[in-house]
Amino acid sequence: MTLREKKKKTATATRLPLVFIGPGLLVLAVLALVPTLFAIGISLQDRELGQADTAWVWLSNYVQLFSDRRFLNSVRVSLVWEVLTVSATMGLAVLLGVLMFQCTTARWRNVLSMLFIVPVLLPRVSAAFVWKFAFHPLFGLLTWPYKAVTGEPLDLLASPVTALLTVAFVDVWQWGLFFAVIVLKLLETLPPQPFEAARMDHAKTWEVYAYVALPMLKAPLVSLCFVKMVESLRAFDLIYVMTRGGPGISTETLDMYAFSQGFIESGRISYASGMAVLMMIASTVAFTYIWKWTRPK
Amino acid sequence: MSASPNRKTKKLSLGTLLARLVLVLAGFSALVPVLWTFLNSFKNRVDIVSAVPKFFFSPTLENYIYVLSREAVAQGLLNSVVVVGAAVIAGAVLGLPAAYALARYPLRWANDIQFFVLSMRFLPPVAVAIPLMVIWLQLELYDTRFALIVTYTLLTLSTVIWLAIPAFKAVPKEVEEAGRVDGYGPYAIFFKVALPIAARSLIGAIAFGFVLVWNEFLIALMLTTSDAKTLPIVASELSQLGRDVPWGILNASVILLSLPPLLMVGVLSGFLNAAFKRKRDAA
Repeated sequence: MTLREKKKKTATATRLPLVFIGPGLLVLAVLALVPTLFAIGISLQDRELGQADTAWVWLSNYVQLFSDRRFLNSVRVSLVWEVLTVSATMGLAVLLGVLMFQCTTARWRNVLSMLFIVPVLLPRVSAAFVWKFAFHPLFGLLTWPYKAVTGEPLDLLASPVTALLTVAFVDVWQWGLFFAVIVLKLLETLPPQPFEAARMDHAKTWEVYAYVALPMLKAPLVSLCFVKMVESLRAFDLIYVMTRGGPGISTETLDMYAFSQGFIESGRISYASGMAVLMMIASTVAFTYIWKWTRPK
Repeated sequence: MSASPNRKTKKLSLGTLLARLVLVLAGFSALVPVLWTFLNSFKNRVDIVSAVPKFFFSPTLENYIYVLSREAVAQGLLNSVVVVGAAVIAGAVLGLPAAYALARYPLRWANDIQFFVLSMRFLPPVAVAIPLMVIWLQLELYDTRFALIVTYTLLTLSTVIWLAIPAFKAVPKEVEEAGRVDGYGPYAIFFKVALPIAARSLIGAIAFGFVLVWNEFLIALMLTTSDAKTLPIVASELSQLGRDVPWGILNASVILLSLPPLLMVGVLSGFLNAAFKRKRDAA
């Protein structure tokens, strides 16, 4: 290869990344940054739907938010939702993943893996309707045994105590079963030697997993947990279909409250925007921190 | 399956039986609610609204006929197909080259760019939808397919880039090297070598993007009112027809809405298997 050819080759090779990454990154940056800046801008005004004139009110929306008890309630519900769904999903996934790995043959693993992927593929709206119907107090499939035994209808979505748990159950049903498949596949990537060594030392089966297998998978399991934390932010579809935030405000998460302030009840788009900005800041800061913290560097 | 610990298949212990029972129950839980919905979509109202669940009944196609003959559903289906199709294509056309460059070329900013792409998922949808609604209103593009396509491209593009990077990394460097020896330039190597070899995994990545936007609800709810409504929105509104909830119709529309992503189950589990096989081989 002559020097000239070499030069030409490196020149085109260095331009490819720019040509390939440039457009995609530009589109992403515009689509992400413009709405973010707009959200901040709107939240400093007093814009309402259907009203033309707006004024700058600066931080007044934010000040109001922190004395809004419904807002504080929705922060609490969102935090409960986050902790509940993430821990239950991870717990269920590890349990079912280990059981599949320990107790089934390859054929059963394939069948179960197929089945366990089904719930997460369902549109959230569909999953919500499917379970809303299964939990229906009068003709639900799941509430029927209770009704048959006690003679009383069981309305899980109507009680403030059980409503959030019921919706969370649907979320865990979708993600926990899917993650169980991932945990199984992760276990399958492990070399067999540590298992044999542990058995040689007469470790009990659960000890092999608790002290050998799962610690070896710590990094991917933490990543999985991270993915679920991010996905749990998207509670809206389930809650919108199943409870609309009710009964009362017992299942009203931040996104549900922002939606009803902005659209259903009052059209206070600036106020809702303030909430959106706070959510954006909280989640970006929290997830950036967790991401950098869990990455081995 | 090299690491399978139950090679010494002795007699089935009580623990194993119990474990299998739990797994079978979990498998049922994944399927039964969906099958029940499917069954209900063929029932008359009387058969659904019964005090005792009915497993045997005379099936009817009425619900499907009703749903499919509604103009709103046809419109929603068309909107979904156009919007999702365009957003997925845009995501693939822009995303695959970007993922390839990030996977193959040593860039100083590669890690930061990857993190930026991932951080798109951190944005709460409601936080994106509210300002976008104002923006599209001002541009007089609110409630158009175009607005929804552009917004969904944010979702498909970031997903495709994120999932396609490992797929391109799995293409053996030697094969690309061989292409270079054959006189292929860097672009030809991408189109003629990397793209075909990684195709199976890439289709999986694109399928993920498809499922994500086909199922999307909140953004569509906030960015459309009538003309550009997608199928999930139309389906959710069926529950508000009149005073009685039309359960049969609702069940039929839930099934129709869920069919496209469920058809992807094979592609996606293939994608997962390939991804973890790579990991196993690397280990």
